[in-house]
Amino acid sequence: MGKIFSLVWNEVSKIFIQKSTWIMYIFLALLVIAVAVITTTTDMSGKEYGADWKEELRAENEQLTEEMQEEEFLTEVNTQEIEMNQYHIDNDIKPVTYDAWQFVIDNAMLASVISLLTIIVAGGIVANEFRWGTVKQLLIRPIPRSMILLSKYIAVLIFALITLVLLLVLSWLTGALVFGVAGSNPELVVRNYEGIVSVSAIAEVASGYGFKLVNLFMMATFAFMISSIFRNSALAIGTAVFLMMAGTSIVQFFADREWSKYILFANTDLTVYDSQMGPVQEEMTMGFSIGVLAVYWIVFMVASWLFFTKRDVAGQ
Amino acid sequence: MAETAMELTGLTKKIGSKKIIKELDFEIHKGEVFGFLGPNGAGKTTTIRMMVGLMGITGGDVRILGKSVKSDFKDAIREVGAIVENPEMYPFMTGMQNLKHFARMSPGVTKERISQVIKLVGLENAIKTKVGRYSLGMRQRLGIAQALLHNPSVLILDEPTNGLDPAGIREIRKYIRKLADEDNVAVIISSHLLSEIELMCDRIGVIKNGELIGIQSVHEQQTEEDPVREVRVEADPADSALRVLKAHHGIEAAGDEGFITFSAKKSLMPSIVASLVSADVLVYRVEVSSASLEDKFFDLIGENVIG
Repeated sequence: MGKIFSLVWNEVSKIFIQKSTWIMYIFLALLVIAVAVITTTTDMSGKEYGADWKEELRAENEQLTEEMQEEEFLTEVNTQEIEMNQYHIDNDIKPVTYDAWQFVIDNAMLASVISLLTIIVAGGIVANEFRWGTVKQLLIRPIPRSMILLSKYIAVLIFALITLVLLLVLSWLTGALVFGVAGSNPELVVRNYEGIVSVSAIAEVASGYGFKLVNLFMMATFAFMISSIFRNSALAIGTAVFLMMAGTSIVQFFADREWSKYILFANTDLTVYDSQMGPVQEEMTMGFSIGVLAVYWIVFMVASWLFFTKRDVAGQ
Repeated sequence: MAETAMELTGLTKKIGSKKIIKELDFEIHKGEVFGFLGPNGAGKTTTIRMMVGLMGITGGDVRILGKSVKSDFKDAIREVGAIVENPEMYPFMTGMQNLKHFARMSPGVTKERISQVIKLVGLENAIKTKVGRYSLGMRQRLGIAQALLHNPSVLILDEPTNGLDPAGIREIRKYIRKLADEDNVAVIISSHLLSEIELMCDRIGVIKNGELIGIQSVHEQQTEEDPVREVRVEADPADSALRVLKAHHGIEAAGDEGFITFSAKKSLMPSIVASLVSADVLVYRVEVSSASLEDKFFDLIGENVIG
């Protein structure tokens, strides 16, 4: 047990000693700041409500109804907004102003940037040892090759986790500086497949980011596999990023085929079971998707393991 | 005879249907420096890769202190320190970070041991510098330090003198002799240049086209009593020198532009010179060749080209 710990320690420290990792983090920080700047300048942060907020909401609803009568195309949008306002009034929840928490929630879209960074690390972690020639030094130790591979995989997951925490902290701090903090865990009103509900901000953050992690996890494992099979980081990063981008289009292209439900990308977005959109094929369930993901994961891991442990390490 | 540190029995490697290493059989003793000599492409590196488990073994086995690399890899490799081909380290880490990294991969390497090996290879001043900025000689030294961290019984160095200047080679020769003589380590050194390793080796095995074609003890040759040597003498006039040799010593010598060459026992040299001088021949130079090991190497390889 102590041994796997030191191996993982080795791998994680190699990731963080490299300058490229810190350049990626600077890039991530700049993105968060850019999003904050765009949000303030385009005034997407919404209005603030005073002590008589119920009155304000009622006035707003009247205005929205009037608009609807004049312009028919606004009906749908305005009805939804009226319903939201009514929910606030009925349940006595004062609408919170846009703050650090909502900024964090909105930044869940940046989770795909974490996927990208994790793919870069996963795609290089095995292949780079071959490029540097250091793989020979790693494999002539009294440690089975499968342990070395496992320590590298764990290091990739730790990197993803650290990067996720970094994104959350950066977003929250930037949000707090720019928009302020509305409370330690304010209550938010959101619309999901059940209709309008109120949830705590932390729960919303957890589900918003949690579902995004599925895709990250699968694509990182895929890049890790390509890295161990072909010992080439550019190939691993390239294919994984391409598939991540093209995944949804691939699924749409084959959507009318019976087997499309077995495509990896038809199953990576588990939020479809939680929204009106629904999965690619009607008979699919959350359990089915998790099963498909598990099979893909096992295939990726076994392939990485076979190629890493069984193949000769010959000259370049 | 000393204890066996490493033993190769019928070691064979096939790639496809081609046998690239053909049934190597030899052993290396504790405290011995074994030279593994052969032209480029003879199979030295492949053999070394099989010794350390980087390449699978098609047939036969490698045993390190009696433990098989094939079936008991962990216990066998624990006793081995190696540099395979180039001394490659992480370029973005310092020498110290590299050593610590590899120290964590072997059981029982202490901080004291790390500073001990740094001192041994004389890298104290550069240990906090990134390896990317090291010269080849420094990287070679760091490679040796890394290979010695866990006190191995067998040290394998693949072309350790590659790219080093004569001073660097002399220094490496010094460490290696010290390790073998003082710490009883078995050292295997591969090279394609006889001249670079003959001075530090006890025995030299020659490999060509994947086959071991001979093992030569370096000391055997030195202990041989009164060997016959090639002698070249610059003498004037050459014809009278030839006559004197024939008359006094019964030696048929060949003359060529002021030089005469012949074979003679080393013990005869003083009397040959004395008779030349007393016959009023001017002797400018007497050369006795010593490198018969090189001749043997060429004999074994069967050609005069080491490429």
